[in-house]
Amino acid sequence: MAVLELDGICKSYRTHLSLRKYWILRDLGLRVEQGEIFGFIGNNGAGKTTTIKLALGLLFPDSGSVRLFGREASDPAARHKVGFLPENPYFYDYLTGEEFLDFHARLFGLPADERRRRVADLLQRVGLGNRGGRQLRHYSKGMLQRIGLAQALINDPELVILDEPMSGLDPIGRREVRDLILDLKARGRTVFFSTHILSDTEMICDRVGLLVRGRLKALGRVEDLVQAEPGVWEVTTRGIPEHALPCGQLVSRRDDRLLVRVDSQSDLHRLLAELQRHAAILLSVTPARRSLEDLLMREVARREAA
Amino acid sequence: MGRPASIWSGRRGLALLSIGALLLAALLQGRFDARAAPRDEVDPMLYLPSGKYLKVASLGFDEILADLIYLWSIQYYGNYEIEDRYRYLEHIYGQVVSELDPHYLDPYLVGSLIMNLEAGDPELALRLLDKGIGNNPDRWILAFEAGFLCYNDLGDYARAAAYFEQALRSPDVHPLVRRLYAEMHNRAGDKRTSLREWAEIYDTSSDEYVRQIAWKHVHDLKIDIDLADLNDAIALYRERFGACPRHLEALRREGLVDAIPLDPDDNEYRYDHRTGRATHQGGLVVGG
Amino acid sequence: MFTRIGAIALNTFREAIRNRVLYLLLIFAVCTITFAQVLSLLTVGSEEKIVKDFGLATIDVFSVLTAVLLGITLVSREIEKRTVLTLLAKPIHRAEFILGKFGGLVLTLLVNTVFMSIWLFAVLAVKQMFDPQLATAIVLLFLQFLLITAIAIFFSCVSGPILACVLTLALYVVGHLLWSLELLEARLASEGARLLCRVVYCLLPNFSNFDIKGQVVHGQAIDPAVIGFAFLYLAVYGSAVLFGACAVFQRKELQ
Repeated sequence: MAVLELDGICKSYRTHLSLRKYWILRDLGLRVEQGEIFGFIGNNGAGKTTTIKLALGLLFPDSGSVRLFGREASDPAARHKVGFLPENPYFYDYLTGEEFLDFHARLFGLPADERRRRVADLLQRVGLGNRGGRQLRHYSKGMLQRIGLAQALINDPELVILDEPMSGLDPIGRREVRDLILDLKARGRTVFFSTHILSDTEMICDRVGLLVRGRLKALGRVEDLVQAEPGVWEVTTRGIPEHALPCGQLVSRRDDRLLVRVDSQSDLHRLLAELQRHAAILLSVTPARRSLEDLLMREVARREAA
Repeated sequence: MGRPASIWSGRRGLALLSIGALLLAALLQGRFDARAAPRDEVDPMLYLPSGKYLKVASLGFDEILADLIYLWSIQYYGNYEIEDRYRYLEHIYGQVVSELDPHYLDPYLVGSLIMNLEAGDPELALRLLDKGIGNNPDRWILAFEAGFLCYNDLGDYARAAAYFEQALRSPDVHPLVRRLYAEMHNRAGDKRTSLREWAEIYDTSSDEYVRQIAWKHVHDLKIDIDLADLNDAIALYRERFGACPRHLEALRREGLVDAIPLDPDDNEYRYDHRTGRATHQGGLVVGG
Repeated sequence: MFTRIGAIALNTFREAIRNRVLYLLLIFAVCTITFAQVLSLLTVGSEEKIVKDFGLATIDVFSVLTAVLLGITLVSREIEKRTVLTLLAKPIHRAEFILGKFGGLVLTLLVNTVFMSIWLFAVLAVKQMFDPQLATAIVLLFLQFLLITAIAIFFSCVSGPILACVLTLALYVVGHLLWSLELLEARLASEGARLLCRVVYCLLPNFSNFDIKGQVVHGQAIDPAVIGFAFLYLAVYGSAVLFGACAVFQRKELQ
C-alpha cells in the first residue's frame, strides 16, 4: 500500500482583489512507497510546500485526491502515523523545549511516563540533550530546526514529511539531518522531503520527483534520471595559452591554470594531444556526470522556453 | 573601551539630555499654568448633551460617567472664583447626571443644596428633588430633604407636610420624619391632624424621650384645640344672646358644645366672663 | 478528544500566562482600582459608590481588553505565523483546536478576573465597604468576557489580527448600544422596517444582558431570572459563535 498517494491534484489560488486564478499545481500525481526515501525537488515557488500541505490536510485541492495510508488526507486519523516539520517553523516562544515536545506528545494521547521517556530520548537524538529546559525563544536557528525534527518524530511515525529540512543549516547540521534520514530508513520508516539543495538529495534518495512550475517533470530513481555520461570530461591544465586550445569550452581560469570541458572522447584525445605538444602540465582529468542540478536547470529552461 | 567623542554622545549622554528636556518641559508647563488667565471661559463640561444622548457614548458605563460628572461638579461648584457658575445647575444635575444614573442619590441631595443655599433658588432645588423622588419613590431621604426645604426656607408648611407624608411611605424611614410631619400640620394650622399624629407617635413609640416630646405636644395641642373650640362657642353664644355667658356651663346647656373639655391634667379651663375668653391656667398657649 | 482539547487548552493557558501584555493590563487594572479609592475622596456623599463603580468598570474594561488582545494574539497571530501548522498536522480535528484555544483563554480570564476581584474586595474591605453582591455582578461580567472571547476567536479565523481586533471591538460597542435600536423601532412608521429592526436587535449580541453593575452598586435586589437568562444567553449565543468559528476554520486554507 502506498504510504502517500496524490492523484490528479490541481490547486489554484485567487488573490483577494482579482478574479484571476493562478495555478500552483497542475495534474500532480505521485506515490510514495513504504520504506523509501523520496526527494521532492524543484525551484522556489514550484509548489513543493503546497504539495506537502495538501498531503497533510492543511490545504484542500481544487480537484484530485490525496490519501495517507489509504485514508483521505483531511481525516485526522490519517495523520496518526505521520510526522511533519514545516519550513522555517515558528513555535511557541515561551515554552521550553521539553514542554513543547510534551505538548505535542499529549496530542497523541501518550501516557505521562511514555511522554517523559520519548521527550528525553528525542532530545538526545537530535543533539539537544541538556538544553531542553530553555525557552524556545532563546534557541538558535539550528536548535529550532532540531527541536522541530524532534517534534516530528515524537509519535515514532511511519511516514516523516519534511519541508526543506536542510535550509538554514550549516554543513554540519545538514550532515546530521542527512544521517537522521538515513537512520529512519534503516528503521524501516518512509521519508518524504522537499529541498532545493540537490547535492545531498542525490546521495540519500531512493526516488525523486522534480517539480517545475506546478508540474511533475520527472519521477523515478536517481540512477535512472541522472545518466553518467562518460563522454563529458573536465580537464585541468597549466602551461598552455588559452588561444591554443583546439576544442572544448573554457570553464574557468585561475592564474595560468585552465579548466576545460570537452564532451566527447574524440575531443578529449585532441585536447590531450595538444597539451602534449605544448608540454603543458596535466593536472587532472575527471569524468563529469550530469547531475540532478543540470536536470533541473534543463527542465526549467525548457519550461521557460515553452 | 574608548572615550566617546563628546560627553553628549553615547547612551549616558543621551539619557541626560532626555531627562533634562523633560524637566524643562515640566518647568514650562508649571510656569504656563501660573500665567494663564483666570478661568472665565466656560468649562466645556457644561456643554454636555443631555444624559439620554450621553448614554450612547458611555457603552454601558452610565454609572461611572455619572460618578465622574458628579465629582467634577463638586469641584466646579465649590470653586468660588467662577462667576455665573449656576447657570447650568439644572442641566448638570437634572438632565445629565440623573439621566445617566437615576438612582444615584448624592447628586439630588447635594445639587439641591447648592441650588437652594448657594444659588438661592429653592424652587429649582425642589424641582430637582421631585425628579429624584420620581425616580426613587422608596428612598425617604429625598422627600425628607424636600420637606425640610419647604419648612425651613419657604415656610410653606402644607407643602412640607405633603413631602413628609411621602417620606413616611418608606418602610425604613427615620422616626424624626414622623415627628416633623406631625409638627407641620400644627404649623400649617391643622391642629387636629397634628394632635392625632402626635398621639399616635406617643402610642407607638418605644423611646422614652420621644414619648415625652410627644406628650408635650399632645398636651399643648389639646389645650389649643379646646380653647379654640371654647372661644368659638363663646362667640356663637354672644351672637345668639348678645352677651358673654356667665359660666362655661352655659355653653353646654345651650347645646353649643357637647361637653366642657378639661385640660390634659383634668383641670378646668379658666373663664373670665368679663373678657369673654377662655384660657388655660398655665397661661401659655403653645403653638399659637 | 478531550485529552487533546485539554492539552491545547493547557498550552494556550501557559502561553497566555507568560505573555507580558497580560501583566501590563493587570497592573493597570490594579492601579486604577487603587486610584478609585483616591478619587472617592473628592466626592461629597457616598464614597462607596465611587469605589464600587470604578472597581466594576475597571474589571469590565480591562478584562474585555485582555479577552480581545489575548484572543487575537493566541489565535489569529498563531494562524498568521504558521505556528499552527505543526499542530494541525497532528491527528486532531480542526474544531478541537478552536475549542482548546477557547478553553485556555477561559482559564486565563478566570485567573485574571479572580485576581482583580480579590484586589477590589481588599480595597473595599479596608474601608468596610465590602459587599458580597458585587460577586454576582462580577460573575455576570465574566460571562460577558467569555462571549467576547468567542467572538474574538471567530473573527481570528476569518481575518488577520488587526482586522479581527477592530471587528471584535466594533461588535462590543454595537452590542452595548442595542437599546438604541429598541428606541428606533418604536419610532419607525413602516411595519417592515420595524420588523427589520427587531430582527437585527435579536441577532446582534446583546451585552446588556450581563450588566447588573448599576443594580448591585445601588443595593437593589437582583431578579434570579436575570442571572439565569445571562447564563442561558451565553450558552446559546456562545455556542453559536464557537460553532461558526469551527465551521469557518474547518475549511480554512493555511497558507
